[in-house]
Amino acid sequence: MISRKTVEYLKAAIFLGNLEAENERQAIEKMLDALKGHPQVRDLQMLSEAVFERQQTDPPLLPGGIAFPHARCDMVSDVVMVIATCPKPVPFRDMQVRLAVLIGVPKRAASEYLEIVSFLARHLRNQTILDQVVAAGDLPTFVAAFAGL
Amino acid sequence: MDVTVDHKPERRISPFLRRFLKLKVWFIEHFRVSERQSTLFWAALIGVLGALASECFRKASEIVHYVATGNKLSITTSFANLPWWQRILVPAVGGLLAGLTLWLGNRLIASVRQKTTTDYMEAIVVGSGLISVRASIIKTLSALFSISTGASIGREGPLVQISSLVASLLGRLRKFPIPRRRHLVACGAAAGIASAYNAPIAGSFFVAEIILGTVVVESLGPLILASVVSTFISRAMHGAEPLYPAHSFDLHTRWEVIPLFLIGILAGFLAPAYLRALRFSEKAFSKLNIPVPAKLTLGGAIVGALAIVDPLVCGNGQSLLSSMFHQHWFWDTVLWLLMLKLVATLVTFGSGAVGGVFTPTLVVGAALGVLYGEFILIYFPQLQADPALYGMVGMGAFLAGTTGAPLMAILMVFELSLSYTIVPFLMVGCVVAYYCSSIFETRFMYGESLERKGAAFFNQQLAEVNILDLIRPDPITLPKNATFAEIAETFTQFRFQHIYVVDKDNRLVGAVSLHDVKAFLDRPELEAVVIAADIMNENFPRVTPLQGMGEALHEFAIAQSERLPVVDNLDSQRLIGSISKTDIILHLAGEQSQATAAQKAS
Repeated sequence: MISRKTVEYLKAAIFLGNLEAENERQAIEKMLDALKGHPQVRDLQMLSEAVFERQQTDPPLLPGGIAFPHARCDMVSDVVMVIATCPKPVPFRDMQVRLAVLIGVPKRAASEYLEIVSFLARHLRNQTILDQVVAAGDLPTFVAAFAGL
Repeated sequence: MDVTVDHKPERRISPFLRRFLKLKVWFIEHFRVSERQSTLFWAALIGVLGALASECFRKASEIVHYVATGNKLSITTSFANLPWWQRILVPAVGGLLAGLTLWLGNRLIASVRQKTTTDYMEAIVVGSGLISVRASIIKTLSALFSISTGASIGREGPLVQISSLVASLLGRLRKFPIPRRRHLVACGAAAGIASAYNAPIAGSFFVAEIILGTVVVESLGPLILASVVSTFISRAMHGAEPLYPAHSFDLHTRWEVIPLFLIGILAGFLAPAYLRALRFSEKAFSKLNIPVPAKLTLGGAIVGALAIVDPLVCGNGQSLLSSMFHQHWFWDTVLWLLMLKLVATLVTFGSGAVGGVFTPTLVVGAALGVLYGEFILIYFPQLQADPALYGMVGMGAFLAGTTGAPLMAILMVFELSLSYTIVPFLMVGCVVAYYCSSIFETRFMYGESLERKGAAFFNQQLAEVNILDLIRPDPITLPKNATFAEIAETFTQFRFQHIYVVDKDNRLVGAVSLHDVKAFLDRPELEAVVIAADIMNENFPRVTPLQGMGEALHEFAIAQSERLPVVDNLDSQRLIGSISKTDIILHLAGEQSQATAAQKAS
C-alpha cells in the first residue's frame, strides 16, 4: 500500500523523459540541473556534492536497470525527486540504467526516504510496471503506472 | 590391638546458660518476634538515650550560660540583671564563638569525604539514616554558644539533632538496613521534640506529619513509644508540668465563637509573610561578604542591642510566652515586644545561627493572637474576651500556617497548655490557618529545607558517579556501508533502540534508530538500495569519560535512549563503549545494595 505522502512526493517530482547521457556522472548532473531554482533546494552545489559522494559507496542500483542516486542532507528542506527515463540505457558502473530516480532527503526524514525507496524498489521489480514507467512520456503517465496497485 | 581414642576436652555449659538457651529457643518458637516487634524495643531505648542526650545539652547550656552571664537564672532574667554593655557583649561574643566553631569545624571536616549527612531530616527522608558525628558535634557546639548567650533561637533544634544522632549511631552499631536506620532516626527526632516540649503526642506527630509525610500505625507506633519514653525521662528530671499551663477558658457569650474562628484566617494570611521574612533575612545576610564568625557576631550584637531595650527578646522566647499568657499586658506592650522579638528572630536566623525557629514561631503566633484578643476586648467589650485564649489559639494557628502541619499544631498547643477547653477553637483555627496559608505558600517551614536538601543530596550522589566506571566496552556497531539486511538482522538480534555506526577507524559517525526502520525490517527490496549511512543520525548524542554525570543525563534526555555511546574525546570521536541509564541507577543504588548485602551476609 502506498502512503499519501509518497504519492505527494511522486506527483511533485520533476520528470525528465528521454534522458540522454554518456555516463553515470553526466546523467546525474543533468538530473541535478533540473533542480535549479527548486524552492525546496537550499544549496544545489552542496546537494550535488552529497549525491556524488554517496555514489562512491555502494551506489544504489536495482536489477532491471534502475538507479537511485540520492543524498540525505540538510541542503533540501523537504524531499525532492527527479525521475529520468533513459530509452537509450546509461552505464552506471556495470549496469545499463533505463530508469534513474534522484532523491534529495532532509536528514530528519529517514523514514520518508525508506518509504519512497521501498515503494519504488518493490513495484519496479515487476517487469510490466518497469516497462510502463520507462515508456512514460510525462509524470502523470509515470504515476499512473502505479495507479492500479 | 590397642585402640587409642582421643578425648577432646569436653566443653561444658553451665546449667544456668543451658536453661537460658532453652528458654530463648522456646521464646523464639512460640512468640515469633519479628523486626516489627523488635523495632519497638529499639524505639524505647532511643527514647531513653535521646532524653539523656537532650538533658546533657541542657546542662551544658546552663553551664555556658553561667560562665557568660555569671548567674544561673533564666536567660531573660539574667540579661535583665546585666549592665547595658554586657547585654551587647554577651550575645556578640556568643555569636563569635558559635561562628568560629562552625568555621573551624567545617574546615576540619571539609577534607574528609562525607558519606553521611548532618541533618536529621535529610537522614530520614533522602539519606541512608546515617548522621555525621563530627558535623553534628560542631553544629551542637555552635548552637550551645548561640543559645546559652541569648540568641533568639530555639534549643529544640540541637536537642532533636543530638537525639537523632544517638539513634543513628545505634542503627549503625547494630548494622541495621537503611529503611530501619531511617525509622530509628525518626524515633530519635520524635524523642528530641518530646523531651524539648514535654509533648509526647506532638513529638511523634511532628515527625510523622512533617518529615515522614504519613500518619500510619506502622511508622507511628515506634515514634509514639520513643516520644513517650523520652517524655517520662524528661518529666522525671523536670516535673510533669506543661510548659505553658492554661486555666480553663469559658466563653461569656456564644457569639465569641466568631472572632475565635477568625483567628485562623488572620494567622493563615500572616504565616506566609513570616516565612518570606525569614527567607529574606537569610538572603540579606548571605549577601554580606563577610566570614561566618563575623555574621554571627553581628547577629548577636543586634540581638544584644535589642536586649538593652527589653531583655525579653533574648533566648527562644519561652519566658516571653509565659509572661504573655499569665500577665495581662496592654496591646501596645504586646505589639512592641512582638516587633522586637520578630526582628531578633529574623536577625538570628538570617545570620546563620544553629538552632530551631519553632519556639520563636510560637511566640510570634501567640503575640498576634493576644493582640487580636486585645482588639476584640476593646471594640467588642460585651464579648468579655480573654486575650490569653486568643493567644493560645493564635499560637496553634500560626504554627499550622507556617509548618503546614495542622494536626501537629493542634496536638502541640494542647500539650503545651493541657487545656482541653481550647481544643475545639484550636482545631478550627489550625485547619483554617493551614488552608488560608496554602493559598499563598506552597513551601512550608521544614518542607523547603527538605526540598533543598533532597535536591542537593541527589546532585551530590550524581556528581560522585564517574562515567569511566560505568562504560560497557565493545558496543554493537555497524560500518557505514552496512546493508539494510545487516541493519535489520542486528536490530532483530539485539534489543537496542539504536545501533552505532562507525567508520573504518572505529570513529563514531552516527546511529541508526530502530524507530526509523522498524516499519521496514521485513522489506527485502531495500537490501540492495539502503546502507547505514543513508539512514543514520550523524548528530546522535555522545559522551566522553571526562564529562560529568549531569551532562550525561542531559544527553540522555536529548537522545531519548536507554544507552549512549562513549567516545574517547570529542575531537577524535573514537568509540570506546556505551553507558546505560539502568547502570547509572544501579550504581546510585549501589551503596544501598552493598549495605543490604553486607547486612544479609552478616
